[in-house]
Amino acid sequence: MAAVVLGTPASHAETAALPVTEIASGIFVHNGVHEEASAANDDAIANIGFIIGDKAAAVIDPGGSFAEGSALRAAVRARTDRPIRYVILTHVHPDHIFGAAAFRDDHPDFVGHAKLPGALAQRGDYYVRRLHETLGAEATGTEIVPPTVLVSDRLDLDLGGRLLTLRAHGPAHTDNDLTVFDQNTRTFWLADLLFVDRIPVIDGSLVGWLKQLDELTTISADRAVPGHGPVSVPWPAAAEPERRYLEAVAHDTRAAIKSGIGIANAYRQVANSERGNWLLFDEYHPRNVTASYKELEWE
Amino acid sequence: MGVTPSMLGRAALVFLLLGSALSGPARAEPTEAERMARWADLRHAIFGNRVVEDAGDLVAIDAPVRAEDAAIVPVAIRVAEMLAPEIRGLYLVIDNNPSPLAAHLILGPIADAREMATRVRIDDYTYLHAVAETADGRLYAAARFIKAAGGCSAPAGKDQALALERLGKMKLSLADRSRPDEPIRAKLLISHPNSSGLQMDQATRNYIRADFMQTLDVTYNGQQVFRLESDIAISEDPSFNFGFRSSNPGTAGVIKAEILDSSQRRFSQSWPVPAAAQM
Repeated sequence: MAAVVLGTPASHAETAALPVTEIASGIFVHNGVHEEASAANDDAIANIGFIIGDKAAAVIDPGGSFAEGSALRAAVRARTDRPIRYVILTHVHPDHIFGAAAFRDDHPDFVGHAKLPGALAQRGDYYVRRLHETLGAEATGTEIVPPTVLVSDRLDLDLGGRLLTLRAHGPAHTDNDLTVFDQNTRTFWLADLLFVDRIPVIDGSLVGWLKQLDELTTISADRAVPGHGPVSVPWPAAAEPERRYLEAVAHDTRAAIKSGIGIANAYRQVANSERGNWLLFDEYHPRNVTASYKELEWE
Repeated sequence: MGVTPSMLGRAALVFLLLGSALSGPARAEPTEAERMARWADLRHAIFGNRVVEDAGDLVAIDAPVRAEDAAIVPVAIRVAEMLAPEIRGLYLVIDNNPSPLAAHLILGPIADAREMATRVRIDDYTYLHAVAETADGRLYAAARFIKAAGGCSAPAGKDQALALERLGKMKLSLADRSRPDEPIRAKLLISHPNSSGLQMDQATRNYIRADFMQTLDVTYNGQQVFRLESDIAISEDPSFNFGFRSSNPGTAGVIKAEILDSSQRRFSQSWPVPAAAQM
């Protein structure tokens, strides 16, 4: 996908709309590609989208670059002229939130986890530099937009006849994960707390993530939206492969630490049975094990 | 603590080399000759005109050829059995890091210099140099090339709340001894961000203040095992593998670790070492 942005960053009119699928009434999701970020894909690698109510629309993750954010905005505008009142930032990772600047002219509330500002302070500059290195000219216009509304526990957003319940979670995929539950259609938007097909990335807490999964999977929903994978999956069944992978990493990493295997070599003996089950396994698994090792060696 | 030549060296090196090491990915990869010249400069900055001999088989660096995570690269310095008792200092230099002198270890007479290991940040493809210093002032250098990049500016802090809560806490694990006369080997973990000051707060446009461990003193029953002088190249939550010989392995003892960080915080912790089982 290469969204073409014409004119200055402020002009949205000529931007081609991002392809989206209506997975439930008024809920539209763009299917991210299972690749690493590149100039060819504009960092459009995550599932992102929007929900339309009677009075307003909410964007859930504005995408991985200004270009993708602009294309998502065009997709919203192709389906409704109601105001975009909320842009929800599910967590700090660039592929989800770096398109936020494309929505500035709409003056929405940018909604994020209470720990998102801290994470952006630590990482934002590095992420922006890396994105510009990776995407080159395709990254033009991409910048950090800090959240203007923070969620520390729960927050309901009213779109007019449609209530979205946001929840802030403890450290799991990152330390600033938000989920969104659409009450009307019982659709559970988990963002990167749920990976399907693409290997999960552990950037918060392995033990915390397993704990969150125990709790999340007790919530009943008609469908879920993963941050990576198909745009709509059955819930909670779709969480099982992720849980299995995380449990294997936890079990085998603990065993590696116990038997004195060093941090650099541990990944070779951890969760190898999972290799065939995930896309981008070799790109992310070693780092997942390093992160897990660092976490678990304190137990 | 007095100002040592190595501290002067480090400050000067940071000042002189920061610009070049941070100039981004667009620059050309240095040639082998340029890498050699850089080491010659660094060697001179750290050791002046002292003779630095090629260590041959006497000193080795153990590190992965390619690091999976440039912010957490395990590095071990090994000294040959015959030379180890004479060693009183170890230097770890990461040639292409913004602050190249990653660690200077001063070893006490009871230290087991055969192996010391830690984890470091590596900013760019680089040579690592380990230099071992004998009690009578001879210097032996070993080199190893490593492919890793971005470790110094890469963000750390996966769980910032936990990092604050655990700040300064330490964990020590002792390896099993198969014989009472063997050196005691230990792994020390320290919860500390050891942040590099090379990350920028996007909201304020200020660099996040560097906050790193300056010295770590480890003693056994009051005798020095080692003092570490270090800075931003040591990874978040520093880890050290070290060893020492107890003069009296039949009796229990106490390991103590004390830290002073760049924010002038002091942390210390002690652990009992049980008496070795009699043969």
